[in-house]
Amino acid sequence: MNNTVKTDVLIIGAGPSGLATAIHLADLLKAKGIEKQILVVDKGQSVGSHILSGAVIKPQAFRELLPDVNFDEIPFDSRVSSDDMYLLQEKGGSIKMPFHPPYMNNDGNYCASLAEICRFLAAKATEKGVEIYPGFAISDIIYNEKGDVAGAKCIDTGIDHHGNKLENFVEGTRIEAALTIFAEGTRGSLTKKLVAKKNLAQGKNPQIYSLGIKELFSVPEGTIKPGEVYHTMGFPAMNDNVFGGGFIYGLKDNKVALGLVLGLDFVDPTYDVFRAFQIWKTHPFVEKFVKNGRLLEYGAKTLPEGGYYSLIKYYTNNAMIVGDSAGFLVMPALKGIHLAVYSGMSAAKTACDAFVANNFTEEVLKNYEQYIKQSPIYKEMYKCRNFRQGFSKGTLAGIFNFGTQILTGGAGFVGKLSTHDDHSYTKPINETKKPLFKDKSERYPIDKPYNFNKADDVFYSGTHHDEDQIVHLQITADIEYYSKENILKYGAPAQYYCPAEVYELHTDKNTGHQEMRIHAENCVHCKTCDIKEPNGAITWNVPNGGNGPDYKYM
Amino acid sequence: MALTIISLIKQVPLPSEMRMGDDGLMDRTKAKSIINIDCQFGLEAGLQLKKKYPDARMIACSMGPASFENALKTAISMGYDEAYLLSDRKLGGSDTYATGLSLSTMLRQMGFSKDSKEPFVIVAGRQTSDGDTAHVPSQVAEALGIPQATFVERIEANDDGTITARRIIEGGYQMLKLQMPCVISFTPTGIKPRKPSLLGAIKANHSKVAIKSVDDIGMSEEAQKLIGINGSPTIVAGIENIESDRPPVVMASGNNQDQLVDSLIENIKKGGNTLVKKEAKEKKEVDTAGFEIVDLRGDNKGILTWAEVVGGKIARPSIELLTPARHLAEQLGGDTKITTVLIGKNVRPLAQTLFEHGSDHVLVVENDKLEEYLILPFAEIITQIIQKQKPEIALFAATTAGRELAPRIGMKTGSGVTADCTGLEIGDYIDKKNKRIVRPILHSRRPTYGESKLATILGFVYPQISTARAGTFAVPQRIEGRSGEISEFTTELSQGTYSTQILETVRGEGGLASLFEADIIVAGGRGTVGDELKLVKELAEALKAQGLKAEWACSRVVVDEGYAEYARQIGQTGKTVRPKVYVAIGISGAIQHIAGIKESGKIIAIDQNPKASIFRYADFGLCGMYQDIVPELIEKVKQGFTFGLEKK
Repeated sequence: MNNTVKTDVLIIGAGPSGLATAIHLADLLKAKGIEKQILVVDKGQSVGSHILSGAVIKPQAFRELLPDVNFDEIPFDSRVSSDDMYLLQEKGGSIKMPFHPPYMNNDGNYCASLAEICRFLAAKATEKGVEIYPGFAISDIIYNEKGDVAGAKCIDTGIDHHGNKLENFVEGTRIEAALTIFAEGTRGSLTKKLVAKKNLAQGKNPQIYSLGIKELFSVPEGTIKPGEVYHTMGFPAMNDNVFGGGFIYGLKDNKVALGLVLGLDFVDPTYDVFRAFQIWKTHPFVEKFVKNGRLLEYGAKTLPEGGYYSLIKYYTNNAMIVGDSAGFLVMPALKGIHLAVYSGMSAAKTACDAFVANNFTEEVLKNYEQYIKQSPIYKEMYKCRNFRQGFSKGTLAGIFNFGTQILTGGAGFVGKLSTHDDHSYTKPINETKKPLFKDKSERYPIDKPYNFNKADDVFYSGTHHDEDQIVHLQITADIEYYSKENILKYGAPAQYYCPAEVYELHTDKNTGHQEMRIHAENCVHCKTCDIKEPNGAITWNVPNGGNGPDYKYM
Repeated sequence: MALTIISLIKQVPLPSEMRMGDDGLMDRTKAKSIINIDCQFGLEAGLQLKKKYPDARMIACSMGPASFENALKTAISMGYDEAYLLSDRKLGGSDTYATGLSLSTMLRQMGFSKDSKEPFVIVAGRQTSDGDTAHVPSQVAEALGIPQATFVERIEANDDGTITARRIIEGGYQMLKLQMPCVISFTPTGIKPRKPSLLGAIKANHSKVAIKSVDDIGMSEEAQKLIGINGSPTIVAGIENIESDRPPVVMASGNNQDQLVDSLIENIKKGGNTLVKKEAKEKKEVDTAGFEIVDLRGDNKGILTWAEVVGGKIARPSIELLTPARHLAEQLGGDTKITTVLIGKNVRPLAQTLFEHGSDHVLVVENDKLEEYLILPFAEIITQIIQKQKPEIALFAATTAGRELAPRIGMKTGSGVTADCTGLEIGDYIDKKNKRIVRPILHSRRPTYGESKLATILGFVYPQISTARAGTFAVPQRIEGRSGEISEFTTELSQGTYSTQILETVRGEGGLASLFEADIIVAGGRGTVGDELKLVKELAEALKAQGLKAEWACSRVVVDEGYAEYARQIGQTGKTVRPKVYVAIGISGAIQHIAGIKESGKIIAIDQNPKASIFRYADFGLCGMYQDIVPELIEKVKQGFTFGLEKK
C-alpha cells in the first residue's frame, strides 16, 4: 500500500518557531506568486498541548511576523504593568533590587500563555493555506542516497511493548519533502540524530540546559494584578550553588503563573529541581501568591541556555533547524520566544530563496546564517555570549563574570568561555559534599496546601500515553554497566531530577538488588533525562502521536 | 462482488474530561469530544474486514449536529473513504427509535437495504457512553429488514461470503454465522481501534463530509412525523442526580512497598471517608387545576414478559422480571394480567415455574428449531403475539438477548424502548402544552451518563417497552402450586428468518457457590496473570488460614486467557457478589466488572496504574506493583491482619 506523502516543505513542530516559519514562508511565496505545499506536523494532541513557557514575551517579532494582523488581535494575556526583581533570603526575608540587571527589562512586554499564542498562530497559518496536523509523532529522518535529509517518517503504531505488530498495526507515514524544517523545541529527538549524523555541533560549545518547573494557579481576587511581574534570585537555589531563579506572573481572570528555572549543570546527584520549586513556594514572598490558590495546571520544560557559542550549525542540505532546537535563546532574560519567531522568519526567507533558485543545498541554505546575522537574534545573543558559562562555577563567580562581560561588551576577560554537557557535572554520590540536597531538603517540609508531590502534579499536566507501544524512554547503556555506574556510583539521579516521577529506583526486599523502573506514562516530555543522565545513558524517543501532556494555558 | 462496509458512529463527550465546575456541576462544555469508544471498535472491525476484502468501499455515517464532522473526519483518517452526516434541526431531540428510523432511511436511500444487489455489512458500536441504550444497531437492522448480531467481539470473513461473529452472552460466548447484508455491533473488548495515520489525516483534511438533511434522504411525510423531539415515541420526563453511594477513595501513601502497605492497613483501621448526603431540593409543583385526565391506552391491556430459557431452565433475570411486572399490575389495578411468552423446544413444563413466580398466563411456542435463542425468529414471534394480545406494557430482562430483542420488536410495533431500567412505576404525565394529565403511564427509570443521572422515560406508543437490569429486582416469592392459564401459539416463519446459524454456544459451568458466601474475596485481573495469580491465591489462602471465609476470584480477561475457570469470573457476564470486603488486584475496573462488585461492603483496590478506574469505585486504594505489594500484604495477614473482619 502506498504509504508516502510528498510535500514541498515539512515543518516538524507547531511551536512558535515552526509556525513562524510556516506563516512567513506562506507570505513570501504568495508575494512571489509561487504555490508550494507546507505541512506542519506536531506530536501534541492539539496545537499548544505541548507548549509551555513563562511567559513574558517581547512583542516586536509578532508585529513583524504578522504585518497584516491587527496587533490587538494577538491573544497576549496582559501587558506588563510592573516588573520587580527580588533577592530571597534563606530566613524568609526578601530584598527588592533597586535596579534591573541589564538585558532584563520588561517594559512594553506582555505576559502570555504561549499555548494560546500558538493556537492563534496556527489559525493564521491555516488561513494562509498551511496544513497543520497535530497528533502525529515523527520518529525518523529519511535520508536520500547521498545521505542528505529527504523527509521524515511517522512512528509505527499498533505495536506491543516488545515491538511486535498487533492486529491494529499502522505503518507510519513517510513524508518526502524538498525541505525539512526541524522545529521540535528544546533537545529535539530528531535534531539530536541529525546533529550527530551531520556533525552540526562541531567546534561549538556543548549545549547546556535549565529545567523550568511551572504551575498555574487560580487565585482569589486581589492576589495579583494582570501584568504584575516578579523575578526572584537567591533562595533556594543560591545556597545550593545552583544557577537560576523564579518567576511570578499575574494573568487576567485571577490567575498566576509561577515557576522556578534552574541550571542542569548541578553536581549533586540527588538534586531535585521539582522539590526546590516546592520549597521555593514556601518562602513568604512567594507563598502569599499561592496560599489561597487552586492549582490549574502543571508542567515542566528544559531550556537551551548555552547561548551564542552553543548554537549548532543550523542548516544542512535540504534541512534547517529553528528555535530552541538550534539553541536560539537569550540569557539572562531567559527569552526564546521572539528568537524562535525571528529564526523561523529567517529560515522562511532562506526557504523562499531556495524555491526561487530551486536549490535546497547548503549553497543557498547558508543564506540562513546571513538572515540570522541581520535579525535582532545576533545582536541580542552575541552581547551575552558568555553569560551562562560564567555561572557554571557558582553564582558568585557568575555575577563577577557577568559584571566583567557588561564592561567588555560580552567578552569578559577570557574571550570565549566553554561549557560541558550538563550530565558531566554530576558527581558520584560518594564524592558529593554533604549535605546532599536529598538530606538538606528534609529540613524544608513541603506539606502546605499549595505543595504537591510529583504524582499529583503530573495529573495536572494532563499527560497520557498509549499502552501499546515500545517504552519511549530507553536505557541505552548495557544493563550491568548501568547498574554499576548510574545506580551504584551516581545513586540513580533520575529518581530525583525527573520532575514527573517517571523513574523509580526499586530495591528487591529479599535480594537487595536494585533496578530502575520506568513509568513512561507519567512523562511530560521535558527531556531532562536525555540531558542529565550520567554517561548519557538514557535516550528520549518520541512516543505515539497525541501522547504526552495536554497543556491548556501554559 | 464489491462489498461496502458501513460504519455507524456517534460523537460523545470524553467522560474522563468532564470535570467538576466551580458550581459543583459537571462541566460538559469544556469536555473534548471523541468518537464513542464502542463505535471506535466498530470502525476497527470494519477496517479488519477490509483486509479480507481489499476493494471494499468504506463508508462512515453519523447523525447529529455539524460538529460531528470531526468524528467522521477521524474515521477517514483511520482508513474510511467516504463520510455522510445526517444533520437537520428537525432531528433534534430524537429518541433511539427516531434515530434508527432516520439513519436507516438515509442508508436505504443510498441503496442499502435487504433488496440490495451488492453485499454490504454495517458495523457499529454496541452502545454509546452518553446514552447506554444499545438500541440503534437493532433498530437499523430491523428497519432495513436484515439480520443482526449485537455484543460482538470479533468477526471473521469466510470464503463463502458469510461472516462468523463471536457474540458475548451471559456466561460465555456464541459463534454465529451471518449472511450478508447484516448489522453487527461491537463491544469494546475486541481489536483495539487503530491510530489514524498522517496519510489518512491529510486525506481527511482534503475530503468533504456529505451533509444530508431530512429532505435529502427522501423521508416520507409520514415518517417525518415520527422524528425529533415531538415525533419520537418516548420522551425524557425528568433527570435526577444519582448520589454516589460510595465515598471517595482513601489512597495509601509511601515510597516503598512497606510504607504503602502499612499506610493501607492504617487507612483501613481508621475507616474510610464518609459520604456527605446533600439535601434533596424540593420539586416545583405544577398547577394542574382544570387539566383533563386522559387515558391513551385504547384497547391495549395487560403486561407481557418474555421468559428467556438458558440450558433448559428459565434464566434468573426473567424470573426477577416478574417482580416489577406484578408491581405494575397491582398499580394498574383491576384485572391487569401478566402474560409470559415461553419459546423453545419442550419448554411447556417450565410454565409452572412462571406461574409460581407470578405469571397469570403463559403462551407457549414450541418448535425444535427454536431450542436456542435467535434474534430474528424470536423477534418475529413476540411481535406477532404483541399484535394479537395488545398488551399495554412489554417487559424484557436486560440480558444480551433482551437488549437486542426489545428494540428490534419496538421497531416493528412503532414503540420506543427504555433500556436497562432500575425502576418501573405507574404514574402520570402532566402535559402542560395540551393542559391534560395522561394517566396511567409507565415511568421507566434508568441510570445514564455513566451512572451519574437517573432519567425517567415515558412512552406514548403501545405497548410501552422496557428492559429491566438484571440483578436489580429480587426474585418474587415463590407460591407453590399457584397456577394459571396456559395456551399455545403457533406460527409459520419464513425460511429467511432462520438465515443466521449458531455454530457453537459456550457457557461456563455454574458452581463455586462459596463465592456468594465468602466474607472476603481476593480477585485478580490482567495485572496478576504474570505469575498466573499465584499471589492472589496465596493471599486468599492466608486469609483462610486466619479463619476467615475467604475465596479467590478474577476478572473476565483472566478467564479468557485461560488462567481460571469461568465459575470464578466476577462481573456482568460472570457472578455478582456482595462480600464484606472485596480486594481487587490488578483489575482496571471496567464497568462490566464493577457491575458485579458494587454491592460489596468495602472495596480495596491495588493497581499499578494511578488512573485505573477501579480507584473511583473503591473505598481504599493502593497504587503499586503487584509483585511487590501482595507478598507484603500476605506477610501482614500471616501476622494477623484481617482487613477489619472478625475471625471465626
